[in-house]
Amino acid sequence: MENILQVLFVLFLMIIGYLFGSYREKRHFKSLQQREKNTLHLSVANFGNQQALIAEVTETKLIVGSVVISIDYFKKISAILRNLVGGKVIVYESLLDRSRREAVLRMKEQAIEWQAKQVLNVRLETVAIGGRFGGRTDPGSIEVIAYGTGVK
Amino acid sequence: MSIKYIPKDITEETNVNVTRRHPLKNFIYLLTTVVVVSVVIFFALGYTASWLVTRISPENEARIGNLLYDTISETEITDDRRIYYLDELLHNMLNLGENARLPLTIHLIDTEVVNAAIMPGGHVLINTGLLQEVKSENELAFILAHELGHFQHQDPLKSLGRSLVVLSALAAVGVGTSSSSGGLSEVVSWTGEMTILHYSRTQERQADEYGLERITNHYGHGNYSLEFFNRLKEEDDEFYQVSQYFDSHPQNQERINYLSKLAVNNNWDMKGDITPLPNWINCPDMDEMQCEVE
Repeated sequence: MENILQVLFVLFLMIIGYLFGSYREKRHFKSLQQREKNTLHLSVANFGNQQALIAEVTETKLIVGSVVISIDYFKKISAILRNLVGGKVIVYESLLDRSRREAVLRMKEQAIEWQAKQVLNVRLETVAIGGRFGGRTDPGSIEVIAYGTGVK
Repeated sequence: MSIKYIPKDITEETNVNVTRRHPLKNFIYLLTTVVVVSVVIFFALGYTASWLVTRISPENEARIGNLLYDTISETEITDDRRIYYLDELLHNMLNLGENARLPLTIHLIDTEVVNAAIMPGGHVLINTGLLQEVKSENELAFILAHELGHFQHQDPLKSLGRSLVVLSALAAVGVGTSSSSGGLSEVVSWTGEMTILHYSRTQERQADEYGLERITNHYGHGNYSLEFFNRLKEEDDEFYQVSQYFDSHPQNQERINYLSKLAVNNNWDMKGDITPLPNWINCPDMDEMQCEVE
């Protein structure tokens, strides 16, 4: 009886997780697409130390964009099952894709506000927070930080 | 030198970083794969374990039996002379020249639950609740002979093998392992319970056949020995404190039908006189002075 309750509880959490998770994900992807279009004019480039700095640069600034996104219970259970089988963890692919794009967008939006001409040498860092990522005790979240040098 | 920057539009259709598969579809695929594979492994391991476990030496079986018996939490009544009676009745069930695979030990358990069971290593558990419920020696003897049949066929060992696999698997996915108690000890005690509870239908049927044959040999007839199940059948609808054990047995009517047919086929006499139970069967230490009058 206790075990049946446990299973029902997990099922309940999964349904909640799936409904809210997929709704938010859909909404987030829509917003990402829109904002990516809006910030498309700002170029992001890599810049080697062998090259001379472009002449018209007068000012530089470190620009950081970061985001923390939580996994939902449905993704968690899917990933646990995936651990047994192996292969692409597609439920986490969308999670990481959203996080990366959101972090870059926040960075770019900040750069645009600062009126940057370009953001140079952008780097991405990922870290798992909130317990073990995909662990048993905590749903866990990921943080993605995008940072680069804004020039104007 | 300046390079013209022409940004490319990103759309979800061109996003290669997310596999385009519906998460629910993905989940169902994962779940079915995992379930199917686990079930296959489960059965394979279960059968291997129950096959292997019948090959252990009698000494080891006795050792395992003692370990399992220690996990039983109910209170045992010791120093009770009724145990001698039960012991004699149990040993009377063996055919002439037939030996129990291991020495049998009777444990009289003080509980209202109507139950009797045999464990690996020859531990026979008889609940006082059962003694209150049986109405004749024939009934009691059949139940004992049935349990003895399980033991002689090594059923408790086989079921132990399987339940160890089942419970280890459950423990592996986290069921039954709370962080406060050591997971393994819980598994072992569950195994003890499962061993008693679960036999296959074929095993039950064979134990029944064994039981009725021994009963006919001992009493010269099989009459009255199945009355217990007749009563259980009638009381099925009412609330009746019968342990899961009897629930897991074949449907009582089906069981009686089968055994009646078996008796006809084997020319076993199903007519004969009742052998009453001793008056002191429910009195501690055979002492009728201590007996609670019902």
